[in-house]
Amino acid sequence: MSDASTKSVLTGPVFKNNPIALQVLGICSALAVTTSMSVSLVMTLAVIFVTAFANLFVSLIRHHIPSSIRIIVQMTIIASLVIVVDQILKAYAYEMSKQLSVFVGLIITNCIVMGRAEGFAMQNGPKMSFIDGIGNGLGYGFILMTVGFFRELFGSGSVFGFTVLETVQNGGWYVPNGLLLLPPSAFFIIGLMIWVLRSVNPEQIEENEFKMKHNTEPKEAV
Amino acid sequence: MAQSNNSIKKILTVAFALCIVCSVIVSTAAVALRPMQQLNQELDRKTNILNVANLYESGMDVEAAFGQVTPRVVNLETGEYSDQHDPETFDGFEARRDPAASRTLSGERDPAGLSRVENYATVYLVGDPDDPEQVILPIRGQGLWGLMRGFLSVEGDGNTIVGITYYEHSETPGLGAEVNNPRWQAQWEGKQVFDEEGDLTPAIRVAKGSGSGEHEVDGLSGATLTSNGVTNMLQFWLSPEGFGEYLAKFRSGVDQDDAQDADVELEAEGA
Amino acid sequence: MPIRQTLDALEPHFHKGGKYEKFYPLFEAVDTLFYAPPNVAKTTAHVRDGVDLKRIMITVWICTFPAMLFGMWNAGWQTNTAIADGYASMAGWREAIMMTLASGHDPGSFWANFVLGATYFLPIYLVTFVVGGFWEVLFAIKRGHEVNEGFFVTSVLYALILPATIPLWQVALGITFGVVIGKEIFGGTGKNFLNPALTGRAFLYFAYPAQISGDAVWVAADGYSGATALSIAFQDGMAALTSTFSWWDSFLGFIPGSVGETSTLAILIAAVVLLWTGVASWRIMLGVFLGMVATSALFNLIGSDSNPMFAMPWYWHLVVGGFAFGMVFMATDPVSAAMTNQGRLLFGVLIGIMTVLIRVVNPAFPEGIMLAILFANLFAPLIDHFFVQANIKRRKLRTGAPAEETA
Repeated sequence: MSDASTKSVLTGPVFKNNPIALQVLGICSALAVTTSMSVSLVMTLAVIFVTAFANLFVSLIRHHIPSSIRIIVQMTIIASLVIVVDQILKAYAYEMSKQLSVFVGLIITNCIVMGRAEGFAMQNGPKMSFIDGIGNGLGYGFILMTVGFFRELFGSGSVFGFTVLETVQNGGWYVPNGLLLLPPSAFFIIGLMIWVLRSVNPEQIEENEFKMKHNTEPKEAV
Repeated sequence: MAQSNNSIKKILTVAFALCIVCSVIVSTAAVALRPMQQLNQELDRKTNILNVANLYESGMDVEAAFGQVTPRVVNLETGEYSDQHDPETFDGFEARRDPAASRTLSGERDPAGLSRVENYATVYLVGDPDDPEQVILPIRGQGLWGLMRGFLSVEGDGNTIVGITYYEHSETPGLGAEVNNPRWQAQWEGKQVFDEEGDLTPAIRVAKGSGSGEHEVDGLSGATLTSNGVTNMLQFWLSPEGFGEYLAKFRSGVDQDDAQDADVELEAEGA
Repeated sequence: MPIRQTLDALEPHFHKGGKYEKFYPLFEAVDTLFYAPPNVAKTTAHVRDGVDLKRIMITVWICTFPAMLFGMWNAGWQTNTAIADGYASMAGWREAIMMTLASGHDPGSFWANFVLGATYFLPIYLVTFVVGGFWEVLFAIKRGHEVNEGFFVTSVLYALILPATIPLWQVALGITFGVVIGKEIFGGTGKNFLNPALTGRAFLYFAYPAQISGDAVWVAADGYSGATALSIAFQDGMAALTSTFSWWDSFLGFIPGSVGETSTLAILIAAVVLLWTGVASWRIMLGVFLGMVATSALFNLIGSDSNPMFAMPWYWHLVVGGFAFGMVFMATDPVSAAMTNQGRLLFGVLIGIMTVLIRVVNPAFPEGIMLAILFANLFAPLIDHFFVQANIKRRKLRTGAPAEETA
């Protein structure tokens, strides 16, 4: 991985090796915060910030981290960053932090952050690690924003809070899709996105675990 | 290197140094940002109050507008103002847990599903505190999935509704959560709480389907149980169990003796 | 036989290398619509029975007819009765057809009721068939498998569990979701673990609850609010239910509800045929029934002051809502149900318990059978796994050696 170029480290996680769509990490918050795009955006920024700086700091002290307590060290760094982000949001974006509620705090448990710190920052230099953190945050954010776009557009008829489809509740014509306001809908959208991504990049498709035997064969109709 | 990294001494040093650095950062952030956060919470509460009074416009100076609002603490049993508590700091919602400052409710007397209710509550008066234009009451009760908290504002006659808002609820998005739809909330304006002069039982309710008359508002479509929850909590908070006694002071024609009778009854049951 | 000749003449074009090679699934679908499928079993998969999938599916399809025909009449009768009581009829093209064919809204006229019901049900069914069929054929062509007769059943079951007044665009969206997400994503008929018809309905239920639940959607008269028997009991208690509808009304089906679910009698007729022909598993039906009886009896015993549903006895659970329809047609879906015999019983019991549990305890949903079946669908592979493993273990104990796999 050390010879990877800056660009591939930055953009790779967005499509080719997306943390949500390929590695299926960080699903929990993707379900919870994607009802509207503005909330998704704030969450994305928070995750980019935490992943990037967690990677940076872990990478900076990677030669001094004793391997027996490395996970705890990483957790402590991540947790501190998350608390700082949470405090800043509460102070400067109160409305947002109210909507994000516990999910900013739960970035601590987001497997992407931990996974990148352990999997990348422990072996790579600070600069690359920082960029890798941004890249993975972007990959996460790409899915979040797309899911948020569909959920907000078809669930509430708006994009970033601006009304696009006037809903019947407000006297318009559009009947909003209530399923999209519920968390499980994010599963469907993420699933469909994985479908699309794997149709475009067939190398992402995993081998079948087993193959079904053909049990019938067409023969000439009688 | 790996060897020396894993020595006990190194482990302890790293762990200790990391803890120090991180705790300093975290506590600095927490302490430095605390005033700002409290300001935000305060602002949020005030915005909610102004909102229900139809006084809020986005971008306005909330602090200045809140100048015309006076908080007072009301004794729910007598309906009189109380000076026992400081209205700026008293929190009725917290007080409901304190056995000395609250009473239990059950069965018929607890339509809103509260099980405990405080003895004192903070109300907000808009305009002249002695002859307010609006009286803003905190309300809460069970919706479909959980507790809903909000404000109800009535005019100085103690009967005509100005508005209702909910600032905390967990209703289904798109259905019950439409309690916060401005179009639905707009229907409340001008509705009458009580049926006839002197009546202490609130008549206001959320109708099934479309509401008619001065005591009914349209139900939320597809959210019968949330609508029922709203009805129930209004029935409770506007009855003599809630703010009924207090509102009676504003209403003309309410026989104070009746109110006193209800009082006695309450005390007996409350004991 | 001109059809056979035409098909034979066309066939070479659809084989490998032919002009329309891509559209072979479409040809195959038309061909097997008229004649027995040309495929023969090469492995042991069909040893279970001499019947083929096509005949199974057609049997189920025909079995829905009593419920469907009664449902159309009932939807019309409910509406005409409401209109006779002074509610306005819904205007539009349905009204035009109604006037042409039946010239009035007489609730006493069998014909008027039936035509009115048909103007609601047939478009729903048609849309289901066309839109669902489109996806079915698209995936068949794309994936190179055959169009399956299972869709006949899926489409009719899906159409029957919708309220008459549902907007047709929602019908189209629902069946799209049911067929694509509920079935084709997993590889088509035989590989889906959820019942596609129920998946489609569940989608509509959560996406557009205002058009598929509540009191206003069951009867197609303007502004008329006719709660289903189940929601009357749910909101106002058993006394309100028994004073509105008699048990016999509910059993025969003279109550508002989704088109096909109201008449327990019509559904039981189908059940007899399905059980007699061996198409549906009696173990599943028995399991659902027993699970329901046991759980409702338990709730009757516990009792509750605040929740009137606790008091509903099992014979009412049987006749209100979609219980009978779900038990007979949905739970017995051979693909998404459990496959082992003991597993089927357990699968059924799970559905019965969950249905009553959701009906009684859940504060939001008056009906539970749909979610209960989908829930049990998820558990079916697990249930099977345990019974298969238990069987292997037992054989091992008996013979002292691992059993030879017979496949």
